[in-house]
Parts: sequence; structure tokens; C-alpha cells
Amino acid sequence: MVYGIREFNERVGEGAGEPFLDADNGEELMHVQPGVSIVLGNRPPESPGTLYISTKKVVWLSDVDREKGYAVDFLSLSLHAVSRDPEAYPSPCIYAQIETGADEGESEDSDSESNGVVELSKTTEMRLVPSDPSQLDALFEVFCECAELNPEPIEEEDREEHNWIFSASQMEDEVAEDEDSDWHLSQNSTNSIGQSNGDHDLARTVLELQINDQRFEDAEEMEHHTDSAHQ
Amino acid sequence: MLFFSYFKELVGREVTVELKNDLAIRGTLHSVDQYLNIKLENTRVVDQEKYPHMMSVRNCFIRGSVVRYVQLPPEGVDVELLHDATRREARGG
Repeated sequence: MVYGIREFNERVGEGAGEPFLDADNGEELMHVQPGVSIVLGNRPPESPGTLYISTKKVVWLSDVDREKGYAVDFLSLSLHAVSRDPEAYPSPCIYAQIETGADEGESEDSDSESNGVVELSKTTEMRLVPSDPSQLDALFEVFCECAELNPEPIEEEDREEHNWIFSASQMEDEVAEDEDSDWHLSQNSTNSIGQSNGDHDLARTVLELQINDQRFEDAEEMEHHTDSAHQ
Repeated sequence: MLFFSYFKELVGREVTVELKNDLAIRGTLHSVDQYLNIKLENTRVVDQEKYPHMMSVRNCFIRGSVVRYVQLPPEGVDVELLHDATRREARGG
């Protein structure tokens, strides 16, 4: 995943347009708030703009410059709050802290040399200032609701990783190593991750679990056809 | 789920949430969810000199994954109850 805030210019539609959302992965627009300026870190406010809150991320798009916009995933928002004290910031706003995931070991030199993009990725604070302060509490609640939709994806990542390691082609390789097998797929057997890790049994277990996969049924049929053609 | 159940019991009490970035926020626990996201009300920053801009915040939502510690009020801790609950949890019950 991408940590921190990033520049965002993927717009759809005419005029100022709307942010492109990853609808294929279930991303939905939850709230639109026109008349919002954005303050990143100690930078001056940028406006006018429109705030879009989706089920995955917060997007601010400039109303005048189609190329200008920012996005931050809810996964990177550590904290958000309503700030109303004029001593802290002159205008009431939504205050948010951003987890950057930046390497703390990076030298200061890279900071001074960096262009705008790198500095942006290290921004840890964001203020969203609506022209209508009465909307703040409603905005806060939308932020809460969407943050709750985005728990840490640790378990899913683990699962994906396992699927990725034991991909179909690797499982075929495992089968090819089995001398009793009628399948002739031995060309790629050196690529077997299960074998190279000495983790043969685990790979075999996964293979057995998925042996009823349709791909294998097709392969078997094909083998039969080929066999009979030879005979 | 033990922590979730336990924190739910503490709703309405004063707690201090310490974040992994060292920021510590004290406030009334408004709500907690299964991901241990925490909502605080009547908040104040413990180290105000270091985080002056956070003074203004009266309520906030803290993402569960960035929480390092939650300091509990001593009167909110029933040691016997926690003992039993952790034993049950450890047995998988």
C-alpha cells in the first residue's frame, strides 16, 4: 500500500470532474463537500477546492486546476479531529495526522534535495477548512465511518501471499516431480519454490487442497485426449 | 476480542491514549470498536508544549493500529475480572 498523502490528478467527467474511484474493488463515494481549502503541513492553504470522501480515501481536488489534487488513504490516517480553537488554527477545520511510513533513517540531505513530491509524501499533518464551518461535525462523522471501514489488512495480505507463492504453475511443477503422475510438465520443475525451500510437504498439502480446481480437470481431459490420439 | 470487551466497559471514563508517534492524548472514552479504533471526547494533549496545535481539539478519532498504550484509570481496573478473562481467552474459550 501507499503510505502518506500523494498528488492525485485522476479525474473523470467534464469540467472540474470527479476523482476516479476504484469501483472494481468496491470503492464508493460517501460524501462530497464543496468549498474546502486544504492545508498540508506548514504550507499555505490551497483553494478553492472540493473534498471527496470515498470508502477508501480522502481526495481534495482543486476547482480551477484540473491537474491539482491530493489523496490520502484512510489506512494512512492515524487520527482525525475537529479543531475549533482560533489559537491553534485561524479557521475551524478537520485536523488529521498522516502516517507516512517514511524511513526515519533517511538523512536530512535527501530532504533538502527533494522536490515537491518527496516532501509531500513526508507530510504528517493535514487541515481541511470548509467555507461552511457548520459542516464540520458531519464531516467528522463521515471520516469516522470510513475509517472504520478500513481496518488493517494484515490477514488478507498473508492470505494473498500464500496464494502468490503457490500459484498454479508452481503446483503443476510439484505434480511433475511425482513419478507416478501422468502429467508431463517437467520443463519448469527447477522453478519449484516448494522444492527450493525444502518445504515440499507444505506445497503438496496446498496442491491436494486445490486438486479439484477446474484447471486440473481440463488438464486431465486434455491428457486423456492426447493419450488416445497416440494409441 | 478480550481488549474490545474490556475497553467497552471503560466507556465514559477518563483514559490516556499514547500513540506510536509519542503523542499522548487524555480524554473521556466515547466509544471503541472491534479494531480498537478509539473515540475520545473532552480531549487534551498531555505534553502541550510539544504539541501546541493539538490543544484546540475537543474530540478525536484515533486509528487502532497507531495506538501504543492506553493508560487506564486505576478504579476502572478489576484485576480479578481481568485475570479470569485472560485465562479464559488463553484456553480459547
